[in-house]
Amino acid sequence: MSSTNIDRQQQTETPGCLNDRLSKIKYLGSLWLGKILISATRISGRGGTTLPGRVALKISPKLTSFLTGQLTRGSLIVTGTNGKTTTASLLTGILKNEGYRCIHNQSGSNMSWGVASALIGASSWRGKLTADFAVMEVDEGAFPAIVRDIQPLATVVTNIFRDQLDRYGEVDQIRDAIRRGLNAQPQGSFQIINADDPSLTGIEIADGLSRWTYGQESEPPETTYQNTSGDIKLCPRCHDKLDYMIIYFAHLGQYRCLRCGYKRPEPEVKLTGHTRYPDGSALLEIRLPDETLLVKYPLIGTYNVYNALAAIACAHTLAIPSATIKLSLEKAVPPFGRMELFELEGKTMIMALIKNPVGANEVLRTLLSQTGNVDILIAINDKIADGTDVSWLWDVDFELLTAIEERLSSIVVSGLRAWDMAVRLKYSCFDPKRIQVEENTAKALKHCLDQTATGKVLYLLPNYTAMLEMRHAMNQMGLGKPYWEG
Amino acid sequence: MAKINIYHLYPDHLNLYGDRGNILALCQRAHWHGIAANLIQIRPGEKIDFATCDLLFSGGGQDSDQKLVVQDLKSCRDEMRKAVEENMILFAVCGSYQLLGLYYTTARGERLTGLDLIDLYSEAGHKRMIGNALINCSLWDPPRKLVGFENHAGKTFLGPSLHPLGQVISGFGNNGSDKKEGAVYKNVIGTYLHGPLLPKNPWLTDYLLQKALLYRNQNHQLRELDDSLEQQAHDTTVRLTSSRSHKLKSSHA
Repeated sequence: MSSTNIDRQQQTETPGCLNDRLSKIKYLGSLWLGKILISATRISGRGGTTLPGRVALKISPKLTSFLTGQLTRGSLIVTGTNGKTTTASLLTGILKNEGYRCIHNQSGSNMSWGVASALIGASSWRGKLTADFAVMEVDEGAFPAIVRDIQPLATVVTNIFRDQLDRYGEVDQIRDAIRRGLNAQPQGSFQIINADDPSLTGIEIADGLSRWTYGQESEPPETTYQNTSGDIKLCPRCHDKLDYMIIYFAHLGQYRCLRCGYKRPEPEVKLTGHTRYPDGSALLEIRLPDETLLVKYPLIGTYNVYNALAAIACAHTLAIPSATIKLSLEKAVPPFGRMELFELEGKTMIMALIKNPVGANEVLRTLLSQTGNVDILIAINDKIADGTDVSWLWDVDFELLTAIEERLSSIVVSGLRAWDMAVRLKYSCFDPKRIQVEENTAKALKHCLDQTATGKVLYLLPNYTAMLEMRHAMNQMGLGKPYWEG
Repeated sequence: MAKINIYHLYPDHLNLYGDRGNILALCQRAHWHGIAANLIQIRPGEKIDFATCDLLFSGGGQDSDQKLVVQDLKSCRDEMRKAVEENMILFAVCGSYQLLGLYYTTARGERLTGLDLIDLYSEAGHKRMIGNALINCSLWDPPRKLVGFENHAGKTFLGPSLHPLGQVISGFGNNGSDKKEGAVYKNVIGTYLHGPLLPKNPWLTDYLLQKALLYRNQNHQLRELDDSLEQQAHDTTVRLTSSRSHKLKSSHA
């Protein structure tokens, strides 16, 4: 093995020497430009997560592989429709607690340029990257290309739901992108996928790769429901209707096909016990191949349980000790815009990103499980990063909110598509007179804060760019840190 | 009290882009107009009772779902055709719109026969036509504007005697070249526009409800409703649509 490697090196040494030096210069040039742009965009109050990477990749498309090639351990990719940010953040937490140095695109900028920006930001001016792992949350569409660029040690795929169809056309195409990404993984690498999602388990595994799955096997919550946005209901093999024994939410659950016999694989990491506490936290009993973990897990919602299982499975394949995994999960905090908590003048703000039907429904369900009077601000933009098609709002069960209409002190809609959102609420039986519209997100935030009573909770439900606008406004009020300081 | 039966075809399979909103708009507005709307959901294998069906709605689906549906519908094609000729209201969006025609040619050249209810055919294109769309719709005189969102790779071409739903002001329409969007035949309306279309254009919803009442000779005057929120949403979309450019996207399919 070693001799062939040496041969290859020697062959490239002589003619490639100059080339190597030239490309090193090119890397450094693009890197410096990227670093300068990061500083410049931050001075202007923006995060510097898009432009620097974009420009640097234009000059030197292989910059990402050049930088990740220096990691002592390697890269990990988290993709899928929902739960990417939380799973990547949990995984980063586990690795850091084990003493590893990690680079992580924590702002959620997850296209190739977002990955590049995070790496550029972490490297020295001489192009040196001193880190063990890069944990990258990656957009599903960008997944195949990024897998080829950074040759990950492992990939995690959380789930596939309907999301931003204006970018991908159809859910089948998202699934195809994920399949191509998984198949492009380097030999010997791991893939970790959700056993409860038939659209993932139906993807055949390529030779030379290892796969682990994770899933739930505990009792489902009392209020199990199948919302309208479950996308794959058909068997991935024979396309007959799947038979579900248990549904946790949307199309995630325990399934089998009565026609061809296809069934959910036996997960390596499974949730066998789930005790829910009134404050939203839970005691999870998680069975790994050789032991059982009991974790007091602070993040709210069934979807966050899946995120924990995904992170645990990935950490386990990297041979991280279970004690570290348990400790990290027990002190997990919600990442960027995922049920994030802010306090101001005795008022509580909870910010939860909503961006597709299944995610939004889970957020609404979590919101409904809380008691007391609430004020709600929903902000919907239709910029490119949000998806320009707002028809998904009609697949969200906003009707659920009418159940708490008496304790809903106010409801405000905002963003470029505020009026569409207002119409959506009107058709879910809200009294139109109660729906307040303020298109400007910063003004809407201020207005909502003014009308929320002291001691009460204001829920902020923005989609992606509306969230960035709101955070900017909050930073100016002295709340939270700019996200690049994480 | 006036009463209409709304049949919703395959809600589990044809529900791609917020199609539920079209049903919500029909039911809610019927209610606000003092009409008792009865919603019947039809799942694969179930029969449509054309003797009671006043308005049939069918939404968009992925290719895999559509194949299943067209197989199922062929068994009742003759009955459906008869109802359509007798002026039953049929509103079909995106994938379902394509199914109304003679055939659909896939990217691989495979020809899938349609229901042959109206004179149109469709073929797969190489680029997806995606974006906000604005059309001038001549169901009214003077014509009114409809806004929606389109996302389709298929191109549809109308037979010479078939009227489009509207002329494209902004967007791609049926095929990106002839400036026509959708099709109207008797009380059949087919369109690529979702958004969903009905809540965004309440006058179209009311048009369908009015036609459904007339179909069963029910004399019921629609009420004047306060549509100020809908009007604002409509106007905002018109503004956004006019200010953004339309680019073709490569189809991954």
